[in-house]
Parts: sequence; C-alpha cells; structure tokens
Amino acid sequence: MRKVDVSSVLGSNSESANDLESCIDVSNLNLYYSKDKQALIDINLTIPKKRVTAFIGPSGCGKSSLLRCLNRMNDLVDDCVIEGRIALDDEDIYAKQVDVADLRRRVGMVFQKPNPFPKSIYENVAYGLRIQGINSKRVLDEVVEKSLRAAALWDEVKDRLDDSALGMSGGQQQRLVIARTIAVEPEVLLLDEPASALDPISTLKIEELINELKRDYTIVIVTHNMQQAARVSDFTAFMYMGNMVEFDATDNIFTNPAKKQTEDYITGRYG
Amino acid sequence: MPEGLSETPAKQSVLASDRLALRRRWRHLTDQIAKVSIAVGGISVIAAILLIFAYLAYEVVPLFASAQVEPSAEFVLEDSTPSLHVAIEEQSEMAMRLGEDGVARFFDLHSGEISAETAVDIPAGATVTSFALDSEESGIFALGLDTGETVVARYGYDTRFAQLDNRRILTPKIDYPFGNERYRLSGEGNSDPVASLAIRTSGENMLLAATSRRGGLKLLRASKQTSLFAAFDLGGGADFEIEETTLDGLTLGGEQLFIDGDRFWLFVIDAEGLARLVNLRTAFSTPNPSFEVQALLTEDGAVPTDISFLLGGISLLVADDGGTISQWFLTRRDEGVDLERIRSFESSDSAIIALTPEQRRKSFVSVNSHGDVALYNTTAHRQAFSGTLATAGASAVAVSPRGDALLIESAPGSISVLEVENKHPEVSMAALWSRVWYEGYGEPDFIWQSSAATNEFEPKYSLVPLSFGTLKAAFYAMLLAAPLAICGAIFTGYFMAPMMRRKVKPLIELMEALPTVVLGFLAGLWLAPFVENNLLGIFAVLVLLPLSILMTSFVWMQLPDSIRHAVPDGWEAGLLLPIILLATYLSFVLATPIEALFFGGDMRFYISNELGINYDQRNAMVVGFAMGFAVIPTIFSIAEDAIFTVPKHLTYGSLALGGTPWQSLYRVVLPTASPGIFSALMIGMGRAVGETMIVLMATGNTPIMDASIFEGMRTLAANIAVEIPESEVDSTHYRILFLAALVLFLFTFMFNTVAEIIRQRLRNKYSTI
Repeated sequence: MRKVDVSSVLGSNSESANDLESCIDVSNLNLYYSKDKQALIDINLTIPKKRVTAFIGPSGCGKSSLLRCLNRMNDLVDDCVIEGRIALDDEDIYAKQVDVADLRRRVGMVFQKPNPFPKSIYENVAYGLRIQGINSKRVLDEVVEKSLRAAALWDEVKDRLDDSALGMSGGQQQRLVIARTIAVEPEVLLLDEPASALDPISTLKIEELINELKRDYTIVIVTHNMQQAARVSDFTAFMYMGNMVEFDATDNIFTNPAKKQTEDYITGRYG
Repeated sequence: MPEGLSETPAKQSVLASDRLALRRRWRHLTDQIAKVSIAVGGISVIAAILLIFAYLAYEVVPLFASAQVEPSAEFVLEDSTPSLHVAIEEQSEMAMRLGEDGVARFFDLHSGEISAETAVDIPAGATVTSFALDSEESGIFALGLDTGETVVARYGYDTRFAQLDNRRILTPKIDYPFGNERYRLSGEGNSDPVASLAIRTSGENMLLAATSRRGGLKLLRASKQTSLFAAFDLGGGADFEIEETTLDGLTLGGEQLFIDGDRFWLFVIDAEGLARLVNLRTAFSTPNPSFEVQALLTEDGAVPTDISFLLGGISLLVADDGGTISQWFLTRRDEGVDLERIRSFESSDSAIIALTPEQRRKSFVSVNSHGDVALYNTTAHRQAFSGTLATAGASAVAVSPRGDALLIESAPGSISVLEVENKHPEVSMAALWSRVWYEGYGEPDFIWQSSAATNEFEPKYSLVPLSFGTLKAAFYAMLLAAPLAICGAIFTGYFMAPMMRRKVKPLIELMEALPTVVLGFLAGLWLAPFVENNLLGIFAVLVLLPLSILMTSFVWMQLPDSIRHAVPDGWEAGLLLPIILLATYLSFVLATPIEALFFGGDMRFYISNELGINYDQRNAMVVGFAMGFAVIPTIFSIAEDAIFTVPKHLTYGSLALGGTPWQSLYRVVLPTASPGIFSALMIGMGRAVGETMIVLMATGNTPIMDASIFEGMRTLAANIAVEIPESEVDSTHYRILFLAALVLFLFTFMFNTVAEIIRQRLRNKYSTI
C-alpha cells in the first residue's frame, strides 16, 4: 500500500489528531441500552478542537449513540447505562454537578430531520437565548442576524423573519436549525446526518456551511455518505458493531486505511 | 399448470391475464362502492343533525307566529235591549247576552237564533241601575236595582250528551249560588238606587260592595254555612252568614268599584281615573276606614273608558280614551303597598271602547272607536293581533273561555263573531330573555316557573335562569376538571414512564364508561349529604392536597441521589399515592377539632347563620365534583393524546439547545399541543353543558340565578327532562321546552364551532412537520 503525504492534502494545518488541542476526550466508553444489549464497546477517542470529525459506519454500528453521548441526549433513553468517561475541556460531562441543560447549550446538536419549532423564523433562532433569559430586543436582533448570516441563510429570509419556519424548504429548515444552534454560542456542534433528508443542492449548501463553521466550532458529524465524510471532515472514525475500528485523518482513512474492515467498508464491499 | 405456462407467449406480462383484469374491475368496483357508501354515510349524518335541528325549529316557530282572526258570522238578534254583558260558552257554540231588562238571552253563535230567554229574578217594576261581574270564569254577576236592592245570580250551562249520537246538548240556566234573597246595600227605601257595584266570590264566600246614589259605601260579606245535616236539608237553600258594614266618612259620587281576587282591597275609581283603595281586611272591624293607597290610572288627562281585572284578579287593566291600556297591580314596598303602573299598551290615538280579559291566560282583547280589534298578552307585553274587524262604535266584546272566538256587539243586538287562532300569546323574545315584571313581584325579574296549582297563575317562561344554570354547572365542573385533567394529561403525556402511562391512561379513560346516572345518584344521595356534613374537611382537602403534593416533591428533590435513583424515571408519581391518601385522611380527621374551635362545631351552620350565605345541600360544589369527575376522562384523553403526539424531535430540539424539560414543555410542547388541548376543553365544556343525569339528580333543580357555589341551579337539559313528560303536547309550555332544547343545541353547536375555529387557527400556527 502506498503511503500518502497527508500534509499535502490537508494543507499546512494537517496534523494527526493527537497533536491537536483536544476538545472532547472519550475514554473506555461502554453504553448499554439494556443488560444484554451493548451499543458501544470500549470506545476511546479524542476529538480535536476546531476540526470536523466524521463518524462513519454501517447502520446500527453505534455512531449516532456515540454522538448522543457527547451531549447526554442518551439520558432521555430509558434504561440507558453509560460507563467510562467523556470529558469536554477536561471536565467530565457525566459528573454529578454538571448542569445538563448548560452542557447541551455548549454542545449543540442538529438532528437528521430538520426540526424547526412551530414558530417564526426569528423566534426559532432567538429560542435558545430566550430560554437563557435573554429577552432584550436589541441583543436578540443582533444575534439572530449574526446566526442567520453564519448559517448562510440571512439573505434568503431577512424579509420574512416573522413568517413561520415551517414554510421553508427542507434545506433552509436544516440551515435554520444550525443557525438556531450556533445562536447560543456552543463550543461543539454535533450533526447527526444533517443532510440525509435533503436534496443534492441543499446537501451541497450544508457542506459548504460546515466548511465555513469549522473555523469557529468543533464539529462532529455522523454520516452515511462516505463522499460527504471525505469532502467535509478532517478526521474520520469508522465504527462497526459498537467498536471504534479506526480513527485517523480523513485522508488516511480513505486512501490508506490501517484496517482491512475499513477498507472493505469504504470500497463498498459491505454496509 | 406447467403446460399452460409454457403456452403463454414469453412477452405477455403476468399482469395481463383475464383473471387479473376481472380482478382489477372488481377492485375498481369495490373502490367505487366504498366511496359511495362513505359519502352516503357522511351525508346521512349531516342530514340527521339537520333534521333534528329542523324538527326543533318546526316545533318552536309557532311560538312566534302572530294570531289569526277571521270573521265567522254576523247577525242581528231579535232583541235590541242595551246589553250589560255578553259571554261565550266553553265550546263557542252558544253565547249569552244580558240585557238591561235583566233578561239573559242565550243564542246560537253561528246563526244568532235565540234558544232560551231567562229572566233574572228581580221584582216587577224595578229597573237595573248597575251591574258587576265577579269574573268571566265563574259567571257570577250582581245587578243593582233602583229599589236599592242587589241580586246575585250566575249564568251557566248544563251539559249532557244525547244517547243516540253522543251530541252535546246545552241547557242554559240562570241560578242563584248565594241564595234567592236580595241584599239591600244602599240607603233606606226605594229612593236610593244602587249606583255602582262590585262583587267577588271565591267558592262559598262572597263579597259585595256598593255605592248608593246618595254616596254611601256599603260592604256585605256572605259565607255559606254548611250544616252538619246539610244532606237532609230538604227545605232548599243553604244558610248564609251575612255580615254588613257601612263605611262612613268616605264621600263618594259616581265612582266605579272593583274588588281584587283575594278580596283584600276595594278599588274606588272615579271618572278621571283616580283610584283610591280601601283595605277590606280591616274594613269590617274598623268603623271608619280611610283610603290607603291612591294613584291616578291615566296619563295626560285621559279618561278611563273601561276597567277590568285580568285573570286572577291581581292586575287591573285600565283602558282610556287616549288609546292606551295600562296594567296596574299592588306591589309591596317598604312603607306599605303601592299601586304601580306595570306596563302599558298603546296602539293608536283612538279611544278604547271595550276591554275583556281572557279566562285562562293573562291576555285580553280590546276594541277601539275605529273598530280596531286587538289581542294582547300582558306577560309577554305583546300585541298578538290588531286589525279593523268591527264596525265603528262597538260597545261590548266577549272572549270565549278557550280564547278561540270573539264576539263583538256594535249596536244593541248587532253581533259579529270572529274566529281566533291565538295559541301562544304569552311568548315573546322579551318574555323569554328579558326581565319581566310578573304579577305580585316588586320588580322585573328573570323567573322560570312553568306551572302552579291554580289556573289563574301567570306562567313565567324566562330561559335566562336555565341558561345561567347550565353555564354555572358547566363552569363549576370545568373549574375542577380542567386543571386536573390538563395537568394530568401533561404529566402522563410528557413525564410519565411509558410503562406506567400504558396502565394509567386506559384506567382514566375507563372512568368515562361510568354511566352518568350512577354518578348522578351517587352525587345526589351520597356526596351531597357527605359534603354537607364534612364541609370543612372538603375545603381542607382542597387546600391540603395540593400543598402536600408540592411539599413531597420539594422534599424528594432534596433527597440524596442514591434514594432518588432507586425509583425509575417517570415512576415518581406512584410515591404520591400514600401522600394523597394520608392528606385526605388528615383533612377529615383534623376538620372536626378545627370546626369545633372556629366554626362552632358545624361549618355549614356557621356559613348560613354567621356569614348569611344560603347553603343548599345539592349545590354547585357537589355538581362540580360529580360532573367534573364525568368530564375529566374526556378532557384528559384528548389533551393527553395531543401532548403525547407532539413530535419527540421538537422536544429534543429544545433540549439540545440547552432548554430544561420544563422550558421545553411550556415553550414548545404545550404551544404545539394547544389546538388539541383547546378542543379537549371545549369538548369537555360541551359535554358539561349537555349533561343531564348528574345535574338532574344533584342540583336540586331550583331555577335560581345565583352564582354562589353553595346554591343549586336548574339547567336547560335537566329542565327538559323534568318537565316534558308532564307538559301538554303542543301547548306553549311544550313548545318552550323544545325552544330550550334548541337553545341547548345552539349552545353546544356554538361551543363546538368556536372550538373548531380556534383549533384550526392554532393548528395553522403550530402545525408540525
């Protein structure tokens, strides 16, 4: 197998994950949905700061479960038991004193299906701030515009901020959800197959947006689409049957996978 | 069939076989059949509802129809003595005309043929100088003679049925229920004729009042003495105890006299319309009574032309030459009684000539100098008919007892008969929905009282107290049900563990299957006395229960995690069960000493005696509990579905933005579920409004307008259930009950329409993807 010079592809910023400043550290993570159903097996992972990390793998491999552990959305699943440690900036997010609501503000999440609230576009973006108790019109206006601009949506919706968000196209809704998420200034953005329900053009826009956002945010994206992972991510984790098979710079994964399983998957032999 | 298969050309699709084509046609046919039958079903439902609506309207519309009056006969009697009185017999076949000669002539109402002439027993040579009628119903009248004597007689008919054809045979008669003797009420001798006369009888008691031409006023009271041996008294004629008194000191001249139905007051009314009253209860014991009340019965200098008591002898109707008819009765005021003008009817400027009350309703008929005949009802303050039907100069008018015929005498002996169709004069929008000043009341009021023990009673058909009762019952039921059901729905739909929800929800929905008649009699027979006896305990529960639940939750939050985590998520509600039981138990146990300490041992007694609040055992609180219990499952079930079906991804979206579960609930879940919650409330309200058995058995059914939680009420639905079995088909009462049903229908229709409109609005606003 030919070795590829990673740095020539990723540019001057290209490093291995271990050299970068870490954002989230996952160590020895096990997750059980019930006693005999283990969804994640001994996951160890370091997600670098201000990079895009993609989780890929076949359906049911546990990539979404892992993503949901990162902002404790799995707490909402009954009988879900989590062992191990997940640290955000060296703080254990499963520690007793952690305010889950605040954690989720810091680790924002965008779901597979666009889920704007049945409110106006403006109120959707302002929602996160309002629940924090910010109601100043001036602050809200500013943040709404900034967030919509950051989500590349401002020009499309600036004249109809008071219209219902439900009247937007699927792609716009998904960008609105991203705008809503970044309005509360999170550190991490978790994207759970954000483009899977969208048409190709909308998908492209979301991918462009991810490229824009990684300058300010640590992004973790779960995707089925390997081209997408290759296009948008800096690092890729390949998961299979609850195991973390391989985690490396995206170029290494796609061009020079260390494991046979990874190679089989990305070359389409199964999955 | 391997051969068959091999014969099939390779290109032919498996979908092209005849059998499949047939099947496709059949499939198309079933689709069409389904479409048509669903359409027919849907349209039938709408048609059925419209039919119900149409039937209710069909029963109600005649209430508001105007009366019809058609001339039916016109003839001249072979007699032209000026008349004192005309009257029609029960079935409008015969009529009687009492002439000034003291002869009653009975004639056929269709042909005018005189069938009988009976003279009242007056001495030869005497002439009638005054006439007084007791009432149209009794037919008892008095004739005052120029000899100063008075004769009391009665006109009537003996009815028997012919054996051959069962034909009714009427035999007119004049008899003397108070004996044949003549009473002398004016001064001495033959030179003081009776100038005016009033008579009022009740059973075997009679009261006569008379003025003589010289101005004396005399009263005479006669009551029949029933002898123990009356049955063997063959001598004929009962004994009467007669009591007379002369009211001195009242100077009179030319006044008309009237005695009210209770024989409490003598109305002395002069030619200008000034009425002065003498208290008859004290007149026999007080030697020199004086006038107690006085009022001028006409306005603007008009002169009364005809005065008569309305049915029942409470209201005095005064017609004047200005075309106005006014109704007056005595009202109780702080300083005594007042003769008050209740309402007046003005039709034209022409003088009213004659006025006759109906015999079974609070209605009357009038004729004016133009020959305009008008039918009125006092309660409804309504002119049911007006038209020029008589020749100008009519002098007397009579109404048949059933109100279906009129007789108008123009010139003496010249009679015209009119057929009347006037079924529901006592109904008008004002009588149904506004305050009405009923006879004997101090002021206008909303009253529902559809029947009484006497025929002279004024029916009070205000739908306002019933509508009020309906809304009051629904309000108190919702007061209990809405918060409990909505909060329960929120907890079950949003917080409760799925396992627990699967058990709790069907259980609450099962409550709906409980027959309301069971709830009704439990409420009326067990809950109402229980609440009455444990009033403080009930209040204590209402306060202590929410408090103890809140406190338990607070304590629970402070407990160490190890204990809290022992209870699985969403099962914490189970912990409240013992707390609820304990708080309820404590409330009732503690109530007794507290009651003894602060409320003199009996709170119910304290409320009515110390606070002056009337306490009805079957009251709005009991109804609130019972009907609330009945509506909770409806509201709970729909609201819970609405909350539960709010897409989880919306909740997750909110949580992922850093919202707490509570924030997610009231900022995202509740607004999204609001259309469903709203329609749950409205459907619950609709159910509470239409509910019958519980309110029938637990409200006491008193149609009062009092918002107090300790008072009962009567609802439209319960009223229909109570009264329709005993109301006469097609009577006014019957139709008004249908009207009540229509109002109830409109109520629920209105609630549902408003609910639907708002629900659609909310749904457009909060529609989810």
